[in-house]
Amino acid sequence: MEFLGKIIISGLMNGSVYGLVAIGFVLIYKSSLLLSFCQGNMLVFGAYSFWAFMIITGKNIFLSFMLAMVAGYMIGSLIERITLRPLIGQPMLAMVTITIFLAQVIDGIIVLIWGSYPLQQIEIFPRASLAIGKMVVTTEVLYAFGLAIIAMVALMLFFRYTKIGLAMRGVAEGHQTMQAMGYSVKKILNICWGVAGIVATLGGILLGATLGFQLTLSSIGILAIPAAFIGGLESPGGAILGGLLIGIVESIVSGYVGQAAGPPASFVILIMVMFFKPEGFFGLKEIERV
Amino acid sequence: MLKVNNVEVKYAGVILVLRGVSIEVNDGTIVALLGSNGAGKTTTLKAISGLLHTELGEVTAGSIEYDNYRIDKLDPDQIAQKGIIQVMEGRRVLRHLTVEENLRLGGNILKESNIEKDMDMVYDYFPKLKTLHNSVSGYLSGGEQQMLVLGRAMMAHPKIMLLDEPSMGLAPMIVQEIYAMIKRFNTDEKNSILLVEQNARAALSISEFCYVMENGRIVLDGPSSKLAGNEDIKEFYLGLSKVGEKKSYRDIKHYKRRKRWL
Repeated sequence: MEFLGKIIISGLMNGSVYGLVAIGFVLIYKSSLLLSFCQGNMLVFGAYSFWAFMIITGKNIFLSFMLAMVAGYMIGSLIERITLRPLIGQPMLAMVTITIFLAQVIDGIIVLIWGSYPLQQIEIFPRASLAIGKMVVTTEVLYAFGLAIIAMVALMLFFRYTKIGLAMRGVAEGHQTMQAMGYSVKKILNICWGVAGIVATLGGILLGATLGFQLTLSSIGILAIPAAFIGGLESPGGAILGGLLIGIVESIVSGYVGQAAGPPASFVILIMVMFFKPEGFFGLKEIERV
Repeated sequence: MLKVNNVEVKYAGVILVLRGVSIEVNDGTIVALLGSNGAGKTTTLKAISGLLHTELGEVTAGSIEYDNYRIDKLDPDQIAQKGIIQVMEGRRVLRHLTVEENLRLGGNILKESNIEKDMDMVYDYFPKLKTLHNSVSGYLSGGEQQMLVLGRAMMAHPKIMLLDEPSMGLAPMIVQEIYAMIKRFNTDEKNSILLVEQNARAALSISEFCYVMENGRIVLDGPSSKLAGNEDIKEFYLGLSKVGEKKSYRDIKHYKRRKRWL
């Protein structure tokens, strides 16, 4: 029982980060109907720049955090401006291919700047443990979980109540219609990528704090795809729930079956969900009037 | 004042769609643009609103001026910001958004606006939308969707509204209602409206001036009241022929009857 509790808590922790990364997919998919495969590498870039800011500012967490968010926004909007804007109106496949290989390019840039070895571990969240009944939980897990939930709620409010969030949802419905109404679709797509960069950076910081700052963190860019699809590619809330589900399943399977079986298990779930609910649990259904 | 001077539009660099179209829309007037399918009416509107740039079309000759300022090289969003809003044909609601969110998006492009007040204005024109304000717009009926896209454009207080077939696929009663509101909006706001229509009767009834297009050219123009009496317009757009006269076989063979302006 204690073992199960521990597994579930570590699943929730992983899951909330999956959820955050999945929100990045949702942001980009919602506005441009594009699945971005460089999300994981944006995440590593964000995490590494946070680490660098920590060193530069002498471990001023708040300042480094803010600077890293700015860096995340910049990398996201730069990617859109340089590589994807010329392709507006071109077939989706061209854009997807670009993001796949862009992932490698970002990887290369990171190695050029920071080298390929894991960075020195730095303490970010105060290390302490909390006893809940018989179980012991590290505070890191709680921080990660709390931040993920805050990010989710903030994004949902953002989409619902801000002008720019509403405009993003409008752009997702039809580019030409929005242009006729006076919105610059290019500008809005650019902001979307910027926000996706921020979300990736946030996920990267959480992961780096718990797993260490290393290049392999980028694999979460693929691992989080099931979370986005299960929740529904249009719903930030669905992405978080999908992430938590995937996180728990993965850690239960790796706990009871074996470490290596975890990630494939989440892909099996993805395939099963796709069979029965191709738009995910909270995705938008194609509207058909009867 | 909107001036379209001798505009030529090519699609994909080779297909000549407009062959020198000139149109003037004076401030505060409703101008109708009639023509059969493929005459180039929609292309004319897209050339004005700049939406041509988002397709393969291009203005290759002539100029489009709004208040003596050339707009034919601007992006569609810049043109819309200047107050020229196109309502595209086919009722392009933002399907997954609610009625209210659609309207808000229409008004949000204004730098200073009172969204709540403008929304009440739209609900005053189309009371039906008020009862539906929380419904997902994709599920509305055709007439309601048409009201919504018109209302969404009204939210931006356009100086010139470009309307592309607002009557398409709607019941006659609804068409009447929508046209009455278009006329009222024009009177209230003192703006101009360029109206593209297949439904010549409805268009002629509310417009002050009318152009007829065919094969990418303007073939006829004049005050709407005068054009409504034109024999050719009556025959080809209003479906009227001389009532009560004995018809000979020659009259029925309408392919023999040539339009006089050609």
